[in-house]
Amino acid sequence: MRAGPAGRLAWGTLITVLYLFLLAPIIIVFVVSFDDATFLRFPPEGLTLDAYRQVFDNADFRSALQVSAVTASITAGLALLAGVPAALALSRLRFRGREAMESAFLSPLLVPNIVLGLALLVLFAPIPLTDTYTGLILAHLGITIPYVVRTVCASLAGADPRAEEAARTLGANTFTVARRIILPTILPGVVSGGVIAFLLSFDETVISLFVSGQSVTPLPVAVLQYVEYRSDPAIAALSVCLVVLSVLAVVLVERSLGLRRSLRSG
Amino acid sequence: MTDPGIAAREGHLVLDGLVKTYPGRHGAAVRGVSLSVERGSMLAVLGPSGCGKSTTLRMVAGLVAPSAGRVLVDGRDVTDTPAHRRDMGVVFQSYALFPHLDVAGNVSFGLEMRKVPRAERARRVTQALELVRLDHLAGRRVARLSGGQQQRVALARALVVRPTVLLLDEPLSNLDAQLRTTMREEIRRIQRETGITTVFVTHDQHEALSMADSVAVMHEGRLEQLGSPQEVYERPAGHFVAEFVGRANLLPGTVARVAGNEAEVEVPGLGTVTATGHAPAPGDRGSVMVRPHRISLDAEAPAGSGAARGTVLSAGYTGETVAYRVRVGADGPELDAEHPSGAHRPHAPGTEVEISWDGAARLVPAPTPAPETAKPGDGAT
Repeated sequence: MRAGPAGRLAWGTLITVLYLFLLAPIIIVFVVSFDDATFLRFPPEGLTLDAYRQVFDNADFRSALQVSAVTASITAGLALLAGVPAALALSRLRFRGREAMESAFLSPLLVPNIVLGLALLVLFAPIPLTDTYTGLILAHLGITIPYVVRTVCASLAGADPRAEEAARTLGANTFTVARRIILPTILPGVVSGGVIAFLLSFDETVISLFVSGQSVTPLPVAVLQYVEYRSDPAIAALSVCLVVLSVLAVVLVERSLGLRRSLRSG
Repeated sequence: MTDPGIAAREGHLVLDGLVKTYPGRHGAAVRGVSLSVERGSMLAVLGPSGCGKSTTLRMVAGLVAPSAGRVLVDGRDVTDTPAHRRDMGVVFQSYALFPHLDVAGNVSFGLEMRKVPRAERARRVTQALELVRLDHLAGRRVARLSGGQQQRVALARALVVRPTVLLLDEPLSNLDAQLRTTMREEIRRIQRETGITTVFVTHDQHEALSMADSVAVMHEGRLEQLGSPQEVYERPAGHFVAEFVGRANLLPGTVARVAGNEAEVEVPGLGTVTATGHAPAPGDRGSVMVRPHRISLDAEAPAGSGAARGTVLSAGYTGETVAYRVRVGADGPELDAEHPSGAHRPHAPGTEVEISWDGAARLVPAPTPAPETAKPGDGAT
């Protein structure tokens, strides 16, 4: 697209406004987190790190952070364990009901989380799986496996299945083909799927609200419970920590996979 | 002139009645292909797309399990041997290189599978890359290679393990015309140097005729003819082979008289034509085949000196040749003729010419209901 200076200016302005619109909440939270007030206000008037100190002093937050970290790690691991073979089967095998399987794997994305949460509560309550790690992880698996399946399928889509056949004719058995040919191909999809699963589980609020309780409280739920009674800069500080964590994870993946990709083509 | 040899000689690679049916699909993809490849020779499996030639190759490689039939190597039945223990080198149409490995890594893969020690591996990889003239690119990522280079890597990767048989699936179809000619000679050179029994699949008759020691023509899952390039071209076993391998004028007629292999064939609109055939008998129906480049058109010759009198309908100049369409008599059959350009001034459409051809025409048997299995040597004379 070739445009004159006026056109370029208008385009630049539009992009800036769009980014401001998207980032405004994060910017405001970031600014407020350094305020010295005991309630949330904008624009801030003081400048202190008290809010951050409060977050790390709060025992509820610390235990909730631990719950979320454990849940997200196990969820990501199990989502990979289930999602990677599923993706391999869906993209490499021809079997009866393949399409039904495919929709089944992607359907949790179509159901509103609040419906899922309610359904899981009804299902889990009598077992009882509510307020347990098992219940929380099972619930999170339902919404993370589809992402792993999708990222791994996407990395397989660009690969030539004949390369696997070529490896077989060169003397590689099924296991060796999987390790030497398929694994390097799907690695980017596996890593990004795992990170996405971790972040989704770490951020998951709605479903967690239904299936968690007093003993196993993940961080987003703890945050909600906190702001029910108070709204001070501590919550903003916690939010900033969560944003930084997510951004770090995404950047790390992008850097490592981006590097791999550039090596491949360069 | 029948050749019992191909069937009787114990070939290095033998396909015995290979059949492949797919559930839910009408008819078989491969309907009983039997043929034999001599040690160190090169066989081309030639046919249009969908004729089952690639499926046949994949059955030989062990990538597709045949529904019936056997594959024998050195007389040993390998039908139930899995692909990774068949010891066959395969070059795929898409090359199927491993994108995460460099050139040397690709070539060395098969050696690693065979647990060849590191030092010997390095030596053999270099050797194989020298054979395909790519030794200067050993460290290059395969994504950064041209099509022709990728092709050579695929070839080196298949050859480095010294397979018993080399299988090539449409090896040249992804290359541009110029490179194709070069690679044709390259593959032939490498095959001669290594002396490896080779089967390659192609839909390109030039490729098949120029590269192979013998050609198997396939059509609708059946083997139509197996023979040397000359046999397949000069003495086609049927209409399909005549028209698929080169261009052909096919004039339907009936055999009137026979003397040995020579038959006098009554062709409506053309009269009696002498043609050689495979054991012709009076009353046989068939077609007289004359290749377009064999037909001469002479505007000066007196009427009656050639085979027939005709009129030029059209003349197409292609640079190297002039392609004519000629009608015999007033309402006789139409013929294609092709002459090198420059030899004489092209005949203009409407010109009356005397039509003749050098050598005897060939009698091609009329299509008969094909048997369920074709035997090697069938139709070859």
